[in-house]
Amino acid sequence: MYSLLKNISHKKRIDLFIVLFSILIFFKLILPASESYIYYFFNEILVLTVFGLGLIISKTYLSDKKNQPLHLVLNSGVIVAGIFLFNSLSLNLLDNVKNDLNKIPLYESFSSVIIVIVNLIGALIFSAALIYLFGIFHQLFLLRQKKDLSFYFNSMSIFFALSFVTQFLEKKNEELEFIPITFFAMSVILIIINSFRVAWIAFISKRQKLYVLLISTILIVLFAINLGMAEDDGFTKNFLVNFSPGLHFFLTILLLYGLIYYSVLFITTLFHLPTAEAIDKKVEEVSSLIDLSKLMTRVLDIKDLSDSITNYILKVINSDAAWFVEVKKEKIEIHSTANIEKNLAEEITKNCLNNNLLDKEKVSVLNKTQLVVDPAINNMVDYYTIISAPIIRHEINNGFIIAIRIKTFQFDDDEIKSFQAFAQYAAIAFENAKLIEESIEKERLESELKVARDIQYKILPREIPQYSHLELSAVFIPAFEVGGDYYDFFPLDTCKLGFVIADVSGKGISAAFIMAEVKGIFESLSKSIQQPRNLLISANSILKNSLEKKNFVTAIYGIFDCKNSRLTISRAGHVPMYLCRNKIVNKFIPNGIGLGIEKTNIFESNIKEIDIDLIYGDVITLFTDGISEAKNKDLEEFGYARLEKLICENSDLTVDALSKKIMEEVTVFSENYQQHDDITLILFKWKNNLTAEVK
Amino acid sequence: MAEFNVATRVQGGVKIIDLKGYLDAHTAPDLEKTFNRLIEEKNYKVIVNFEELKYISSAGLGVFMAYIETMRENSGDIKFAKMKDDIYNIFDLLGFPVLYEFFKEEKDALEKFNLKL
Repeated sequence: MYSLLKNISHKKRIDLFIVLFSILIFFKLILPASESYIYYFFNEILVLTVFGLGLIISKTYLSDKKNQPLHLVLNSGVIVAGIFLFNSLSLNLLDNVKNDLNKIPLYESFSSVIIVIVNLIGALIFSAALIYLFGIFHQLFLLRQKKDLSFYFNSMSIFFALSFVTQFLEKKNEELEFIPITFFAMSVILIIINSFRVAWIAFISKRQKLYVLLISTILIVLFAINLGMAEDDGFTKNFLVNFSPGLHFFLTILLLYGLIYYSVLFITTLFHLPTAEAIDKKVEEVSSLIDLSKLMTRVLDIKDLSDSITNYILKVINSDAAWFVEVKKEKIEIHSTANIEKNLAEEITKNCLNNNLLDKEKVSVLNKTQLVVDPAINNMVDYYTIISAPIIRHEINNGFIIAIRIKTFQFDDDEIKSFQAFAQYAAIAFENAKLIEESIEKERLESELKVARDIQYKILPREIPQYSHLELSAVFIPAFEVGGDYYDFFPLDTCKLGFVIADVSGKGISAAFIMAEVKGIFESLSKSIQQPRNLLISANSILKNSLEKKNFVTAIYGIFDCKNSRLTISRAGHVPMYLCRNKIVNKFIPNGIGLGIEKTNIFESNIKEIDIDLIYGDVITLFTDGISEAKNKDLEEFGYARLEKLICENSDLTVDALSKKIMEEVTVFSENYQQHDDITLILFKWKNNLTAEVK
Repeated sequence: MAEFNVATRVQGGVKIIDLKGYLDAHTAPDLEKTFNRLIEEKNYKVIVNFEELKYISSAGLGVFMAYIETMRENSGDIKFAKMKDDIYNIFDLLGFPVLYEFFKEEKDALEKFNLKL
């Protein structure tokens, strides 16, 4: 029947309960008492069914308190106290009331009606209380169960039920008394078995255990007194038996259950008290590990993470101070400390490392005597034991978590194991934080490089001037890290074209900023100074004051003049300029120190200016060291010779085609090697036929 | 990444820096550290041995420029020795030979230092 009831929905159960409950009330009002067997039998079955349903329904409400053993214990206490109150009050006030419904004539006087109703209400309240109590015992039984023991509880419930329905026999027929007594005995045996399911006591804290000890003492007394009172032939027993002899049995058996259960609980708790502190510590360890694993995903800042690690260590292994140290190539970095000065932690770590006392793969425990530490440190910190666990990242030792204990007892095996587990967690968390820091740094560098590249593109000329007497081509290929190449053209008048090619030392954003400055300088100087040498002298005098000592700029500045068919150039530390005429290459390296290098007047006295008279078909090549220093996978440089040969062999091509050819060769040459520097290639071809003829 | 190594030694009261490998924007800070230490220790007479240097970039050249003034102000100098032709060409293009002293051998540079004394 129980299993049948189990399968129907909660709502239907309630409906069924209401129906049966109404039948019971109705039945009890019509026939409050009778001496016949059939009456008793029918009565007991009806009451039991209502009880069973009530139990199942109450279970849904009780299961909310599943993991609150103390709450359950307290609730049972409240009920038993209520029963006690009722018993003691009725003992004094109502004991004289004649309450055997079988012996008083019913429905013949008003008082008898009152008695019937009082009996009924009292019995119903008791029933509700008992069902609730039974539910509590069931929940307590289920607490912290690791395997299915419902068989024992269910058999006990069945024997309860059997005793329940046969209870009236005890009263009616002395010969059949053995039946309820046997069932009762079986119930008691099962109660004893079930009362040993008190495993939950192990998992509560020491304070809670002390609390349970106190409560269970009170409960034992209350249950015992109630049990005694229930057996007295008083008012309570009378009205319960009137309602149903089984109900009285139910009260008795539950009080007995409570008595046994709380006695067992009391004794178990008493035995658990000595280990309570150890359990508390274990629980804290576990929760610290859980906290750390949460931290792993949340805390991404290395400082915050390190602080948490050291603080947890204090709890996990009950140490007096702890610190977290990262070991890099040759130096150590203390990321966080707890209860110890940073420099002191550093001293101790250094000493341990220098003496090879810390195991790089597993936990090491050191005693004070093992340490060869400066007496100064020894006096500063009064430690007894040092424990260290390695932080391993990519199978390489990255550092240590170190803790010290002042108390003069050793770290035990359990603590060492938790310490190790904790260190492994910490290593993962640390690794995560590191990776994130690295990727943020990488992102920052990349965005910085992007800014630098943007600056460079804005600085370089967007359009190349067009001339009938001069073919012109400019190619620029940036390196991943901006290299600081710069070129520009300055149409000075209808017949004069100034140009500059420059290379700023260094890379990245700083090179890009210098480039911007250089552009400004050349743009303004080109307007006022028409001699390349003087222009570079002025540029140097500006740059030598504005550049940092370690920075410099190499440049070639030149002017094409169509009137005289002449090219005038000056060089400041830059790679050579080539002139190819009749398939023969001339290299031009006039004297000149790089801009921003020399702060005395040596620059001025050193720099030269050369004039070259051009003829039709002359090819002039300017470039930056990105070409000559382009490397292949064997780290061989492209060099000047290859470039010269290329220019020579292809000087008949248009400048655009020649430029393409050179770039192709450079690309093929350095195919398997990353481009490290910007590449700039500027080609001019002199097409001024007329002037050449005049000359 | 290309390898770079910098080592220092003393000879006749002059610090000698041995460079090895590739000196570029990434390895230049190592050389800067070495120079900073020399200045801290008040060693202003320095010979740089280039025998085993394979490559120098503009950032590498910049390191010498950054420290030469300090050395000279303290009546010291940075002198270059045993430079291979391809490396010398880079220095030469930039006009360094006008400003710095280059020597075939270390001992020539040492002699020059001692002469000044």
